[in-house]
Amino acid sequence: MVDKRKIRLMTRTAIYEKEYGEEDVRICSYYRKDYSSLNTWITLIWITVGYALAAGLVFLCGGETLLEGITILRLLILLAVAVGGYLVLLILYGVGAGSFYKEKHKRAKQRVKRYMRDLARLEKMNQKKEINRS
Amino acid sequence: MSTLLVWREKLQNIYAQYSIYIRKALQFVLGLVLFGLINSNVGFMEAASSVFCTVGLAAVCTFLPMIVTVFAATVLVLVHFYALSMPVAAVSFVVFLLMYIFYFRFTPGKAWLVLLPAIAFGLKIPFVIPVVFGLMGTPTWIVPAACGVVSFYMTETVKSSAAAFRSTDADGLVTSLMSFTRQMLTNQEMWLMVMAVVLGVLVVNLVRTRAIDHAWKIASASGAAVSLVVALAGNIVLDGGISYPSAVLSAVLGVAVGLVLEFLFFSVDYSRTENIQFEDDEYYYYVKAVPKVGVSVPEKQVKRITGSQARVSGDSAENDAETPGKKKAEKKPPVSRKNRSTEEPAKQNTEEILLTRSLSRELGLDQDKEQPR
Repeated sequence: MVDKRKIRLMTRTAIYEKEYGEEDVRICSYYRKDYSSLNTWITLIWITVGYALAAGLVFLCGGETLLEGITILRLLILLAVAVGGYLVLLILYGVGAGSFYKEKHKRAKQRVKRYMRDLARLEKMNQKKEINRS
Repeated sequence: MSTLLVWREKLQNIYAQYSIYIRKALQFVLGLVLFGLINSNVGFMEAASSVFCTVGLAAVCTFLPMIVTVFAATVLVLVHFYALSMPVAAVSFVVFLLMYIFYFRFTPGKAWLVLLPAIAFGLKIPFVIPVVFGLMGTPTWIVPAACGVVSFYMTETVKSSAAAFRSTDADGLVTSLMSFTRQMLTNQEMWLMVMAVVLGVLVVNLVRTRAIDHAWKIASASGAAVSLVVALAGNIVLDGGISYPSAVLSAVLGVAVGLVLEFLFFSVDYSRTENIQFEDDEYYYYVKAVPKVGVSVPEKQVKRITGSQARVSGDSAENDAETPGKKKAEKKPPVSRKNRSTEEPAKQNTEEILLTRSLSRELGLDQDKEQPR
């Protein structure tokens, strides 16, 4: 006879495996701190690349105007503004990415825990069935 | 109103039953509109702008996740730009890369949202976006909304100045690189529309999340109005080229879409609102409970009285009227000879059972069975 509880559990685990399974297992192979630090560093590298590209676009757009009649003082101010903007962006994204990836790890861990519990329940059901048969 | 609610329930049932096909059909239509708009507006490469390519890409993307549609649209735009001019393609690539770096890396699942503003602007209904995004999303949806607007205006810039970007010599490459970047980044209409859409989304979301009656309606109207006012005021100041009738029509359509979304996703009965106040050790609670409006779709029930004779009974006249093609509640036909012959043994069986029961009760056999061992 069809066991409705078992079918529900199997469906839930299958949906989980399809939606999150692989990624969650990969995330949970790290400790939370390691995962969040690694991804924060990757984000910071991407932000550096992005900032350089954005600065390049701005330079292409208004480079001529900026460099027209430039003095050393003006150049230093420009550099200070550029570096300041970069640092602000870096701090903002660093803090944001840190908490974002910590939360992501936490959720993945919760999902994996639930998945394992479901698997354990399924195993118990199967064992019970085997005992009843024998 | 109740008829509409019944229809909504029916639609929900149909969606639940055929959701996989409906979603794929919608994905196909989205792909068709998106690739069609790209090819009709910036179709500089003839091979890629053919109908075959449009339909083929839409068909392929239908069976793949939505992120693939976004990726395919990006590649298609870049291919067309490359056919026109390499510097234009390079700058566009950098812009798309920046969008990825600063936002879509974190939420790849929501990347498809960037397509909606681009399509809405392409169809000349820009003010539908603040209403839809504000009602259905969170304040962070301003980022995909803004990215969509930027993508649209980037293609518009290329479309309007295509002749100027066509050049092959090295000097021309540098000039077109600088000129396109300048044109794109200093496009005042683009920044104006980004501001209008972002403010609209924030206003709609802010009003929608308040505990006021008819929050969704007020949110739709106020969001569309704010977007319209910002866009038109900016247009007057900057002396831009936004068409007033088109903008007003778009805002009205935005409000209409808002009403439809409210009907589909947030039907409540404000006349039966309950305001409750209670407390625990730490807090006083002021709770406003608004009941949902919902009706159950009347269902036809078929009752089988006996195995040999089936009688169909409709539960409501309305339900019967909705299904004229089907067999309606049938009147019990006069008992034919055949039926009589099948009924007679049944009657005999019933009499036997009743007789046995009464006998066993009289003889006290029932009590013996019920006695505990």
